[in-house]
Amino acid sequence: MTGKERDLGSGLVVEEEIHLTLVELCQASRVPEQEIRAWVVEGVLDPEGATPEEWRFVGASLRRARTALRLSRDLEVNLAGIALALDLLDEITLLKSRLASTRSSSDPPSTILVE
Amino acid sequence: MKFKDYYEILGVPRTATPDEVKAAYRRLARKYHPDVSKEPNAEARFKELGEAHEVLKDPEKRALYDQMGSQWKAGQDFKPSPGWDAGFEFRGGETGDFDPNDFFEAFFGRRGSGGGSRRPNIHAQGEDHHAKVMIDLEDAFRGAQRSISLRMPSYDAQGRMVSRERTLDVNIPKGIRAGQHLRLAGQGGPGVGKGAPGDLYLEVGFNSHPVFRIDDRDIYVDLKLAPWEAALGAKVEAPTPEGPIQLTIPPGSSAGRQMRLKGRGIPGQPPGDLYVVLSIALPPADTDSAREAYQAMARAFRFNPREGKA
Repeated sequence: MTGKERDLGSGLVVEEEIHLTLVELCQASRVPEQEIRAWVVEGVLDPEGATPEEWRFVGASLRRARTALRLSRDLEVNLAGIALALDLLDEITLLKSRLASTRSSSDPPSTILVE
Repeated sequence: MKFKDYYEILGVPRTATPDEVKAAYRRLARKYHPDVSKEPNAEARFKELGEAHEVLKDPEKRALYDQMGSQWKAGQDFKPSPGWDAGFEFRGGETGDFDPNDFFEAFFGRRGSGGGSRRPNIHAQGEDHHAKVMIDLEDAFRGAQRSISLRMPSYDAQGRMVSRERTLDVNIPKGIRAGQHLRLAGQGGPGVGKGAPGDLYLEVGFNSHPVFRIDDRDIYVDLKLAPWEAALGAKVEAPTPEGPIQLTIPPGSSAGRQMRLKGRGIPGQPPGDLYVVLSIALPPADTDSAREAYQAMARAFRFNPREGKA
């Protein structure tokens, strides 16, 4: 049976408007709680709050947790490897954005403010 | 339905040992994993690899595939004959992250395509689902509405799992940036019993733009100047996502110089900036008068651009 439905949805921007509890992050990322706890200990995720019950993850943690999940499941990367890979991916993103902004010149760009 | 040669996809011979299959999968998975790959169709290739590995790593599935598959070639039209799977029984188990397609389902049925394990309690919140939506840069300036089609497992009146197609109209808020997620409450998987439905997370990506480059909140655009415009200064038209503007180029501008238009990037709190990256285009010396003009310049300047540089 294939039914068709039409709905209208307005969403919240996770990265800006939402903080997630441990339970919410597990549900949203589909990562088991034990694994999230291990990632926090390893520094892959860095929530505010002292105890797991008080943990509040920033919205960007969702993307990080999903990437970590894919790396561990698809490539069987271990805990320390995930932490390393995520750090390196962050650095690649940073370097790529610097490259994009200066791509047409080998000199350090001189920037002038127009308005 | 086209036949898929799983051995060809993994690049192993039909006689490959389980270890060889695993090694080939690992090597290709690292190469095409969407999180780390630079290859253009990484995502599609990776799904294909996952599907091939799913079958070839499992002795039962591989035996069934071999029994059917040896006389077929990749890309041929494929239709399994009835009763072909007699004598095979699969243990339960989840499929990986690929979407089971017609070909896979013809072989191995729909089992496992419903995603995730059912929780033991009767009332449970539905699962959160993930999908991706692509928008244009302009949509981030104005906000936009997008219709997305989702194929979702759900349960019919008899409690059987069925695939249901839904169309969801989503409001993309102004100021959204690449890689951000929208959470649509209650639009995920159906709840079990009295459980509430799960949420739908939509990851937003930008289609590549012919003119503008996007970096988080900031936008970059290249602007070509004639040598005299760069040297003497000029008022030129520059494109912005909200329409062209008049831009004053200061005298003595060099190639690579960036002009920052504060607050003209992606809207938000704070908004991003728009960077106009200047480059200088030389007019061709393809007529006598053009060549003369260059020769006059050479005489007037006595300019050696290599001088004084290390």
